[in-house]
Amino acid sequence: MANMRPADTLQGALELLILKSLAHRPNHGFGITLHVQTVSDGLLRVEEGSLYPALHRMEKQKLLRGEWRKTENGRRARWYSLTAAGRKRLAEAEDRWTSLAEGVRRLLRFA
Amino acid sequence: MKLPWNRHRERDWQEEIDAHLAMRERWNQQAGMPPGAARSLARRQFGNLLHTYEDIRAVHVRRWLDDFLLDVRIAARSFRKSPALSSIAILTIAVGVGAATSIFGVVDPLLFRSLPYPNDRQLVSIGYFGPVDSNEFNVVASYLDWRARQTAFQSMTSMRAGSQCDMLADDTPDRIYCQAVEANWLRTFGLKPALGRDFTPEDDQPRASPVALISYGFWQRRFGGDASVLGKAVIIDDRTVRIVGVLPKSFEMPQLGPADVLMPEQLNPALPRAANASSFLRTFARLRDGATIGQARAQMQPLFDRTAKLDVPPELRKEVRLVVRSLRERQIHDVKTASWMLLGAVVALLLLVCANVANLLLARATARRRELAVRVAIGAGRGRLVRQTFTESLVLAAAGGTAACGLAWALLHIFTALAPEGLVRLNRTGFDARMLIFALVASAGTALLFGIAPALVHPRAESLAGPRVVNAAGTLLRRILLSAQVAISLVLLTSASLFARSFWKLESQPLGYRPAHLITASFTLHRRQPRATGAQAALFRQIEDRLKTIPGGGLAALSDSIPPRGSMGRPYSNIRIAGHPPVAAGGGMVEFRWVTPGYFRVMEIPIVAGRPFEASDRGSGPSPLILSETLARRMFGLENPIGRQLALDGDGQWCPVVGVAADTRNNGLTETDPEYYRLRMDNSNLPRTAVALFRTSLDPAVLASSIRAEIATLDPRLPVKIETMETRVAAFRQQPRFLAWLVASFAAFGLLLAAVGLYGVLSFHVARQTQEIGVRMALGATPRDIALQVQRQAGLWTALGAMIGFAGSLAVAGMLRGFLFGIAPYDPVSLTASLLLLGASAMIAAWLPSHRASSVDPMVALRHE
Repeated sequence: MANMRPADTLQGALELLILKSLAHRPNHGFGITLHVQTVSDGLLRVEEGSLYPALHRMEKQKLLRGEWRKTENGRRARWYSLTAAGRKRLAEAEDRWTSLAEGVRRLLRFA
Repeated sequence: MKLPWNRHRERDWQEEIDAHLAMRERWNQQAGMPPGAARSLARRQFGNLLHTYEDIRAVHVRRWLDDFLLDVRIAARSFRKSPALSSIAILTIAVGVGAATSIFGVVDPLLFRSLPYPNDRQLVSIGYFGPVDSNEFNVVASYLDWRARQTAFQSMTSMRAGSQCDMLADDTPDRIYCQAVEANWLRTFGLKPALGRDFTPEDDQPRASPVALISYGFWQRRFGGDASVLGKAVIIDDRTVRIVGVLPKSFEMPQLGPADVLMPEQLNPALPRAANASSFLRTFARLRDGATIGQARAQMQPLFDRTAKLDVPPELRKEVRLVVRSLRERQIHDVKTASWMLLGAVVALLLLVCANVANLLLARATARRRELAVRVAIGAGRGRLVRQTFTESLVLAAAGGTAACGLAWALLHIFTALAPEGLVRLNRTGFDARMLIFALVASAGTALLFGIAPALVHPRAESLAGPRVVNAAGTLLRRILLSAQVAISLVLLTSASLFARSFWKLESQPLGYRPAHLITASFTLHRRQPRATGAQAALFRQIEDRLKTIPGGGLAALSDSIPPRGSMGRPYSNIRIAGHPPVAAGGGMVEFRWVTPGYFRVMEIPIVAGRPFEASDRGSGPSPLILSETLARRMFGLENPIGRQLALDGDGQWCPVVGVAADTRNNGLTETDPEYYRLRMDNSNLPRTAVALFRTSLDPAVLASSIRAEIATLDPRLPVKIETMETRVAAFRQQPRFLAWLVASFAAFGLLLAAVGLYGVLSFHVARQTQEIGVRMALGATPRDIALQVQRQAGLWTALGAMIGFAGSLAVAGMLRGFLFGIAPYDPVSLTASLLLLGASAMIAAWLPSHRASSVDPMVALRHE
């Protein structure tokens, strides 16, 4: 973890949020923002401007599978769901994030 | 980067984000916002849309680019692993595309590039076309009618046949090219002077005070590009002329003639029709927007029919017709076929390159079957592999194409150095953007073509099972490609040998006169020198007498023109035999020259009947005649022509035939036209140009100074051009020689490529069959059997290709008919020689691999693999 650069961490965080949210259930981009916001009680907010490029990149990396489907209101939207690789990545990312958070927590308490 | 695949993807991205915005808007509305505010808030919450699109695009495009760069790296690596094959492939592309590009550079200005006039496609040349000239012409009387009544063109303009003139500016004399043109000349061609003003209709009135436009080059050369030249008064042929403007730098005369000075032609409608009907013009016009040449011709036809009746002498009327053709056609008519033919050779060469490289890549693909099969086995898709194959082709093409540009540049310089003087526009050719684009397109196009073959051979994971799963499709394809190569190169070879044989015939052709040790001096009298018939003849006589005094000069004769150039011909139907009715029109042209008594002796043209001209004939009275054998036979058959009286040019003067001279090649090096000679009498109406002939062993340079000195005593400003007869004759051989040389080099490249191709494929085949050969040798086959087997394969493919190529050669030879001299297009010698040469090259190419096959050591081979 020591060699993790801030940008990687932030991007890792967004990726983690997306993966975690989609592990709950397949969703479209707007659904993901809503889900993150509600579950975190408004503490976390996903920037749309970063969300969509991230979704596309993760789909390219085969972490997600995207498909056009109808929403509950009958509107066409692009739905994303986790692939096997995505599930594996989520597990790794959760571990990584927990140990990072733990490290930071200890550091803060010590100082 | 808006590739088609990107465009539909981008629509997808947009729809996805639109859906997001709509959902957010709905959400905001449900939270109690009015619709408008809900929408704008949704937009604001999203942030910068454009940046988001950019980021998404970066995700996809980077990926695509990364893939491509990866493919390029893989390709480069694999080519480095087989340097021999790669360098042969690159060399092949470089040679093929390079040669093709340089030829394209030569023919591009002729066939494709627009002429230096705005809307050049609207420009046409129009006029009477008859046997007296190889281009259409007009006469003032007809032109004035056409101009006044025509509706077919936006604008019509004319020029007089140009000539040299003498200019005196700041007391320095110059012999320059003057052209007389109509006032609307530049406007019709869509041009404006670079400096000063254009001609006005007032300048073009008869007896208006003379003005001139000078060419940009002449302005720079003669006046140092000084703008104060405007308004300057100079003396041109004894008239004071004011310079009013400078022509644009890119200006060229539509008939590509030289022009230093343009002056208004000042046509005079007030002159009697007969006078205007014998005054010649070249006429050009600009089509109306959207009109075609065919329409214009149809509209002009009635007008033409009417004026032809008025202005064309009755005996010629049936021989003239209306010609309207594009300016490009007028300019390149003579070299058009040659240009297309060269372009055909280029395409053949490019196809050879494709076949060759495709074959090499196929061979390589087969050798790499295991590698590719492994990639398939670990999950590479078919599409991915095809893309990889095409990337490899592109990498090869890029390397070859770069080298090709260098080669094309060098070849173009060689061409321009070797090309004959008169080859249209070649002097203006340089390596430019258009050639670069051609090279790029040609190499990319060949890459696509030769990339198809290896992409067709798709590897299967099963081929990992054993090394000897023979890919039958690939082998067949290679054989077809090889036969195609042989066929194409045979066609090139036959064309080349036809040209070479034809040129050799031309070189060894007896001319009917002996050019060795003949020196010619040509000069044209100034306009201001006497025009009266007797005075001009007397001046020529004076010059002749002076030139005769040159010690060792051996002057024998003066003529108005000499072979190999044709003369100012006359229609055959103009000649009348005393006591016979006039012959019908349509008899073609007869060459005609004014000569002095010594002409036949100095040219070494034998007099076969009667006698030559004698000095004593030169008094007054009608000039005696000497006919060429061809003309005598045509007019009199087996009768004796000596002593018969002929009337020429319908002037009613009867001239006695005193002799018959042997035929000469009198219009170029190949034609023997009927010809008659008239003696230069003291009262003859001679043309102003004359050529003096000397048969001497003196050095031309030494003789030249004596000739100039003698002429200078009569007129110090009369320019004299001195050439050996051999130079004059060689000038006529330049173009066929150039063409033969070009086609031969193409054929040499082609043969080389075919041989390399055969060699490559056979070597590869032998290498693949090493084990089989080993087994056969172990079972008792002799090295001879093995070698024969390989050679039999080579022979089979070559023979198949040669058969196709033979048929192709016959077809192409038929098209070359017009270029050939002294041999039939189906010349057995050329065909046999080409076949033999091809067979020999194939044998040499096959010998090395077959030798290698026969020296396979069975023990080594069986342990192999």
